[in-house]
Amino acid sequence: MKPQDTIVEATKPFPPAHVPLEPVGIGLRHPYYKEVLETDLNLGWLEVHPENYFGGGAHRHFLGKAREKFQISLHGVGLSLGSDQPVDEQHLRSFKELIELYQPFSISDHASWSASGNAHLNDLLPLPYTLETLDRLARNVTQAQEFFGRRILIENPSTYLAFAGNEMHEDEFMNRLAAMTGCGILLDLNNIYVQAHNHGYDAFSYIETIEKRHAGEMHLAGHTEQGDLLIDTHNRPVKNDVWDLYVAAVRRFGPVPTLIEWDQDFPTLEFLIGEADKARAILQRVQNEAQAHAAE
Amino acid sequence: MQLNEFQNQFKTLMLDHPKILESPAPDFAALFACRSEELPERLKIYRTNIVGSLSDVLSSTFPAVKKLVGEAFFETMARSFIFRSPPHAACLNIYGAGFDEFIKTYDPAKSLPYLADMARLEYALNQAYHAPDDTALDPQALRIADLENIQFAPRASAFLIQSDYALDALHAFCSDEAQTPPQIEQSTCLLVHRPELETQITPLSNDEFTLLQQLFDGASFGTAVENTLKDYPDFDLPAFLQKHLQLETFKDTP
Repeated sequence: MKPQDTIVEATKPFPPAHVPLEPVGIGLRHPYYKEVLETDLNLGWLEVHPENYFGGGAHRHFLGKAREKFQISLHGVGLSLGSDQPVDEQHLRSFKELIELYQPFSISDHASWSASGNAHLNDLLPLPYTLETLDRLARNVTQAQEFFGRRILIENPSTYLAFAGNEMHEDEFMNRLAAMTGCGILLDLNNIYVQAHNHGYDAFSYIETIEKRHAGEMHLAGHTEQGDLLIDTHNRPVKNDVWDLYVAAVRRFGPVPTLIEWDQDFPTLEFLIGEADKARAILQRVQNEAQAHAAE
Repeated sequence: MQLNEFQNQFKTLMLDHPKILESPAPDFAALFACRSEELPERLKIYRTNIVGSLSDVLSSTFPAVKKLVGEAFFETMARSFIFRSPPHAACLNIYGAGFDEFIKTYDPAKSLPYLADMARLEYALNQAYHAPDDTALDPQALRIADLENIQFAPRASAFLIQSDYALDALHAFCSDEAQTPPQIEQSTCLLVHRPELETQITPLSNDEFTLLQQLFDGASFGTAVENTLKDYPDFDLPAFLQKHLQLETFKDTP
């Protein structure tokens, strides 16, 4: 292929996105690039971490190709919205360039922090749930939304430390953030399960507390036991307990776009699609239940 | 403690020797809900994620450096670099700038004088791989315009490397492309670039390097050629142009 062709394809803006009719997607990661492009897949959408596409070359080339087949979601891991400092403008500019090029149906990042001063720690770090944090996080979410000119979704985190000075529970913190900024909540059900285990609260009541109107997307992933703690490793199949939470969440929030996340020790694409099929079966089952209930 | 101070102290703990996690300051320890004896283990989870993931980034950007020193040595050296120069941005495609300069000052690597140059070459390969997309200078342009009016500017993915060692041969050996260890005491001039999606290393002659270096620094074509001919009267300009138009070294300028 001539490089000129590559450039034209990679920089041609795509038509504005709509929420995919088929609600289940998977993460597009490097090992799957070729197979995703060459196989006919029963998938609604693909998720990518925008930070991997800030440069040009092979990554953008494959993302452009993938975007011709699928809707995409840009799921950030680097905005560091919970840092007690404004969001990095260079990062916002690079992110916005991708939004304009690839027209994602969804844009998201996390209720966490990574940067302190000039150092970026490359992890999703825990926040105390206080009014001070809420105010700072809300200002940064607003800064990002105003810069992008679009609503973003904020994901609830997995944490291994809780704060003695918390002024509210995490579910309430998420609701308040959404109410203050107009952002949506990206409900990661594995993270809710991990939090419930690590910090001793009830995962089902967390789901019941989140206001219906805020839920914009759901994530499913695997975790790993380490001593008394669960670690959000994204390298395992979704656990049965987390599937049960998903059923409860779909009953409450309806068929919102759902992602199967897998970020290390990658399985075959076929296996990942199998996990997506399970999610789709649950969506169908809950929809059938609702129809049967309505008919009674 | 305010959010800012917590984040600052947390950062300092993460970017230091693991021993300091065992006895965090009392006012910092008091921030957390877990029992104080549990705290070091929990902090360690974060530290392992942070240092481990950054070390993975360095080891995938500098595979030849890693091969030359071995895994354990590389890990230790990478950790020292991470503590001294943590990333300044979330985009890790650019992490590792300055690793070559750090290696020059890293005492345990003193016996491998070519190691810093290898890091410089590998970082250039990384920059080339992730460089913004642009288009190559169209050879047609040369037919319709005077050479003096064409700006021979490098593509965003093009970088020049000069070393006292045979870096290209050593790199090929580290990438398992060559079977026998090279004779490394031989200076080289190299062009690192990405014509399409894959990066390339192209050896350059001294006269070629002299001209490219001036063009990459923004000199006009006429001046750069004149300067090159002073040092290399036999310089073959047509061959140079043919080679670098084919390699797509130069950027199309509007």
